[in-house]
Amino acid sequence: MRSREEIFEHLKATLVELFETDPAKITPEAHLYADLDIDSIDAIDLVLTLKEYTGKKIQPEEFKSVRTVGDVVNAIEAILAS
Amino acid sequence: MSLLRRRLDLGWRLFGTGFSFFCFGVGALIISISVFPVISLLSPQRDRRRRRIQRAMRRVMSLFVWLMKTLGIITCDIRGAEKLRAPGQLVIANHPSLIDVVILIALMPEVDCIVKQALWRNPFLRWPVSWAGYIPNRGPENLVEACAASLRAGRSLIVFPEGTRTVPGEALQLKRGAAQIALAAGCDVRPVRITVTPPMLSKRQAWYWVPPKPGHWDIEVGDRIGADRIAALGSLSGLAARRLTRHFVDRLSGDPNAPSAV
Repeated sequence: MRSREEIFEHLKATLVELFETDPAKITPEAHLYADLDIDSIDAIDLVLTLKEYTGKKIQPEEFKSVRTVGDVVNAIEAILAS
Repeated sequence: MSLLRRRLDLGWRLFGTGFSFFCFGVGALIISISVFPVISLLSPQRDRRRRRIQRAMRRVMSLFVWLMKTLGIITCDIRGAEKLRAPGQLVIANHPSLIDVVILIALMPEVDCIVKQALWRNPFLRWPVSWAGYIPNRGPENLVEACAASLRAGRSLIVFPEGTRTVPGEALQLKRGAAQIALAAGCDVRPVRITVTPPMLSKRQAWYWVPPKPGHWDIEVGDRIGADRIAALGSLSGLAARRLTRHFVDRLSGDPNAPSAV
């Protein structure tokens, strides 16, 4: 089982790699759209990459209510636990 | 100029601006219920109808530009207009004024545009915009795909990547949609830089605000960013769209002919 910190660090590295996001801006409270400028096309990239990380199929509904980096961590945690 | 002459000049241009917009509004209404329906009836085949309506749109827009120039409320200097005639290219421009799209349509034989979805609820304008094959803005994913499909079919498309009019004096802020469309379509991109001095019909100014002297539209059509260069960025992804968007910013805020170091 991966810890929340591990998941957060992985997500941070993924965002930097995929979108050249400034690592300093990535905090659990950061809003994906408003603070990190991640749009719907980016979200597709992100979900595909996270699918590899979790090794499980991700239903788009599981990411519907995601707004912040912390929400993504929660969603990944839930997927890994299921 | 004496004070009296200055006042007369301003008064004339205020009248001219009001008159132009009045003609545009009334003209659009009359044409929408006469010329366009006739063209549409005479061209039942969809593709032919679209092309004829687009060419008629061009004439209407040219007439409007001619009217504004003739009344002396604007002047225009356009360089490289012939580059806009190639089909299947994505034309991107900065958006300093209300009439940018009017001028660009007037310069292109046939071109697709993105229009507000709300226009499809307007009883007069909904038919002309759909006969012209203009693309309704139905949310980001649909829009990128609809625009890319139009370009793949060999039609040209005008997009203002800022998504709204430029705020004068502020740095250019582009949305990534235009780059996403270019990546999805794999087409040539044609940058157009528009400069209006003194600012007129901008986001901060009411349409009836008249500058101290006629607004001058300087339009520079740049060299294309080739489809091959865009393909070299890879398929549509968040990173490719960011890189291409940065290049668009350079082309639209600096020299539109800058060598493309995408």
